[in-house]
Amino acid sequence: MSTLSGPVVETTGLRKEYPTRRGTRVAVAGLDLAVEAGGVHGFLGPNGSGKTTTIRMLLGLARATSGTMRLFGEPVPERLPQVVGRVGAVVESPKFSPNISGRRNLLLLSRSIGAPDTRVDAAIETVGLTGRDGDRYKTYSLGMKQRLAIAATLLKDPALLILDEPTNGLDPAGIREVRDTIRALGEADTTVLLSSHILAEVQQVCTAATIIGHGKVLASGRVDQLLGAATSHRVRCTDAAAAAGVLRTAGLTVHLEDDADHAHGAVLAVETDDPAAITRLLAARDIWVSELIPSRQDLESYFLSLTADADDEEAGR
Amino acid sequence: MRGLLVELTRLRWRRAVLLLLVAVVVLPALLLATTAWNTRPMSDAEIDSLLSERYAQREVARCERRPEQYVDYSGEAVEPEGCREMIAGWYGGRQTLRPAQELDGTVLAASTLVLALVLLLGTTFVGHDWNTGSMSNQLLFEPRRGRVWATKAVAVTLTCLLLATAVLSAYWWGVTTLASVRDVAVADGVVGDGYEQALRTGVLAGATALGGYALTMLFRSTVATVGVLFGLAVANGALLGIVGQTTQRWTPPLNVMAVMQGQVTYYDESAIAPECRFGTAGPADDCDPERTLTAGDGGLYLGSALLLACGASVVSFRRRDVP
Repeated sequence: MSTLSGPVVETTGLRKEYPTRRGTRVAVAGLDLAVEAGGVHGFLGPNGSGKTTTIRMLLGLARATSGTMRLFGEPVPERLPQVVGRVGAVVESPKFSPNISGRRNLLLLSRSIGAPDTRVDAAIETVGLTGRDGDRYKTYSLGMKQRLAIAATLLKDPALLILDEPTNGLDPAGIREVRDTIRALGEADTTVLLSSHILAEVQQVCTAATIIGHGKVLASGRVDQLLGAATSHRVRCTDAAAAAGVLRTAGLTVHLEDDADHAHGAVLAVETDDPAAITRLLAARDIWVSELIPSRQDLESYFLSLTADADDEEAGR
Repeated sequence: MRGLLVELTRLRWRRAVLLLLVAVVVLPALLLATTAWNTRPMSDAEIDSLLSERYAQREVARCERRPEQYVDYSGEAVEPEGCREMIAGWYGGRQTLRPAQELDGTVLAASTLVLALVLLLGTTFVGHDWNTGSMSNQLLFEPRRGRVWATKAVAVTLTCLLLATAVLSAYWWGVTTLASVRDVAVADGVVGDGYEQALRTGVLAGATALGGYALTMLFRSTVATVGVLFGLAVANGALLGIVGQTTQRWTPPLNVMAVMQGQVTYYDESAIAPECRFGTAGPADDCDPERTLTAGDGGLYLGSALLLACGASVVSFRRRDVP
């Protein structure tokens, strides 16, 4: 595990402006990001929200207009050369020389950091490109190109892996493979920062996430915290009308839901994070619950509500 | 050193660059072969055939009778036994291989060809990195941009300098060896002059490749670099006119020639006094428009341009975002 006590990735007030004919376009607007060591951290946002720009600034490919960035506690880009050996990254689409083989592309990168050629073999094997590594890169499918890009990140044996939309263009089997790899890396010694706009991917793979919109952080934390504890429960009982009255009297918000399965009673949606209170209140009035299901908000609805608010805020300016 | 080896490997593995490297060797070799073929000694039958016309026969007879009235290619008096071959040359026969003449002829052509190829090599080498986006990939492994720029620059400059020097020296060796085999006399110092020219052109080739590389790092595209250079070549005269210079002194081709050949002469009418044109000049006025441009002058001019291009390229590469 990383011995760093603070965040592996940290940005404060990070801002990036691009000059345009009409003035400037703000791609990142004062982003405060913190990625703790270990696990997979989702970096979630709609297209154009500033994810890739942020990653490019962290990796020294783009200059920040203002703000500070740190990797492993070291300020970047000033001390990027000192930490880059511990950072593997795939930014946007894979970028290699098309007329030389995948293996030779990796050899050029590994030799530039003084890594032994055997590490190339290991990386190729890890991503399942053995047998095709001698073919020219331009003959690869998009999935193979993505896997080669991931292999390139493994050449450094990184403590931090930054992956920007790594499953783009992969077939379902490829997506599963990459997600399993990411999950395995996150469970081992590597901290993974996974940029994605695929909500299911983040929900399945990530332990924590930061959601951004219009270049700003909208929410950040552990995924289960972001989604919150179950805040609503679906209750099926024999006398829904009476049950609704009892629960409302107790101060709970209750909605009567239309349910086709009337043979087993009607369904109520009760907003509370204490399901025991529901059964206790209803049992006290001889109303017996036949079904009690916690209703958890999914990341998609949470994400859409956050980004919609951000859109409204941006439109209001 | 590690970075340099990686860049040399990258250069070797890049197909377009490899083709250009092969062309740098093969095209001058073809030119040498063509020169050897075109200057092969004429047989007696060929000379007889060329001198079969009456006028030609009369010319030969006159030359052999009064050889002091004839001079050869170098202005030297011709020997009577050389008259037939010389006059056969006038009547469409092949020229004899003359190394001193070749220095201003095919050697110069081979040098110009090599310079054009290494310019393309310098731009192609790094233009490919920008075109494919692999530059950003490389920077993820070595983020010190100044070091990346310098390493690539050294790789491309050294390769082109050494290769061009070797190829042009080999070309000159081929010319002189051929002349020796054919018993053609070579004046003192000519052989050394040829190798000096090869060395100067080799250094110029390194600088040319570096210039092409630097401009491509600045414009981030081979096509843009070639386009800008082509535009500059076309608009060169107009640009000099705008800044008030009508002399050849500041044209890049003249300076390139000066470096390659050691020195060149050119005519600068703007440098002479106006009185010279009206015949009213005094004895102290310099009315000779002929000027000499030395390799040093040319090198200073081209070196300044190279320094400017490299400076702009480094600053741009260090500061601008990489796609």
